[in-house]
Formats: sequence, C-alpha cells, structure tokens
Amino acid sequence: MEIRFFGRLGERIGREIEIEPPPPGCTVGELRVLLAALYPDAAEELASMSTRACIDDTIVGEEAAVDPARAVEFFPPVSGG
Amino acid sequence: MIDARLADAPIDAAAELAGFMAKLAGEGAVVSFVGIARPRTRGGARVERIFLDHHPRLTLRSIEEIATAAAARFQAGAIAAVHRFGAVRPGETIVFVAAAARHRRAAFEAADYMMDRLKTDAVFWKREDAVDGVRWIEPTDADRAERARWSE
Repeated sequence: MEIRFFGRLGERIGREIEIEPPPPGCTVGELRVLLAALYPDAAEELASMSTRACIDDTIVGEEAAVDPARAVEFFPPVSGG
Repeated sequence: MIDARLADAPIDAAAELAGFMAKLAGEGAVVSFVGIARPRTRGGARVERIFLDHHPRLTLRSIEEIATAAAARFQAGAIAAVHRFGAVRPGETIVFVAAAARHRRAAFEAADYMMDRLKTDAVFWKREDAVDGVRWIEPTDADRAERARWSE
C-alpha cells in the first residue's frame, strides 16, 4: 500500500513509499509502529503525536482503520508560509 | 470575490494588485501586503533558498479557508491570497494578500488577520537552505502570539 510523507519526514524517508499491506484490522497507531521498525532513523518523529496522520485528505486518530486501498499520509507540524 | 491561489513562479505583486483593483465593485478601501523571502537567517547566515513543501490539495484548501474566513469576519468584499510553493530565492515575493472593504479599518484588519493565519495555519512545511546548514522551520512564539490575537 501507499504511504506518503511531507516536510522533514518526506526528506528523510521519501515522498511516497510502497509497503506490504498490513494485516487486516491494523490501526493508524499500529501502522506507525510498523513504519518506525522499517525506518529507525525516523522512528521518533513517526511515533510523535505532533506528526498527524491523514487519510483521504482528512486528519485521523490513532484508532482509525488502515485500508490498504487508501494511502495514509503523515504530516509533521506545519510551518505556515 | 475570493481569489486564493498557489504560485510556482515569482509573484508580480504590482500586477496582482492591479488585477485585484480592476475587479472591485465600489469598495472604498484596499490594503495589500507583500511578503519577501529574507536574505539572512535569524542567526545572520546567508540564505540560498527557502523551500516550501506543500500538499497537492490541503495546502490550497487551507489558504482558501483563511481567505474565506477573513472575508466573512471583516465583511471584506474582495480578498486575494497568493502564495508561492517550491523553491523561493531571497528577494522574491513569497506571499501577496489584498483585502477590499467599504472602509479602511476592515481592510487593514482583514489583511493583518490573513497574514497572521497564513504564517501559522497554512499547510506548508518550510525549509531554509542557508550557507551554514539546512533547517526545517516551525512557527515562532511571536508568530503564535500574533495568531492568538484573533482567537475568540
């Protein structure tokens, strides 16, 4: 499935990656743990609650279900313009 | 009339203002603001460029939301908000806003409000590439304090 990263995270990991679909029932919180294992350099930021998760252009919480057909995006805190 | 846009090339502020004023419908006051990319970091190092990472949909949506809120809050008849994304060189215009209203106070406040919100709430991730290193920037305490003036 597709995962996208922005800002500092995008620079560190890449704008878009493709990962094996996580097991059914996986939540956004669990996806963070999975990604942190894949990208230990970015683990702290991936785990941080100031990094927000977004599905279909909507910010979602940690309990949101991950659907492999819908990309999950991770946003570090925005800087403003 | 709300005109919110992203620009991937230098913004011509004079042309933006002329285009904005050509579309007015009887407002008595126009206030515009031009933000220019600074040549030095806070520490004094020379900046080679600012890079504004943006989201393909949510960035523009955030600017539209700010422009719409300014129009409603200050009863501004016309609003423009144009923001660069991508690489911006020092000296280039990074943001242009304009507000038109019946009277001057509302136009001043609408422009002020938009800038305070753009500096904190617009969906950008800003990186400063300077001769002494590369830094991802977050809003300063001063930016947040300015933003808080408009909270109710």
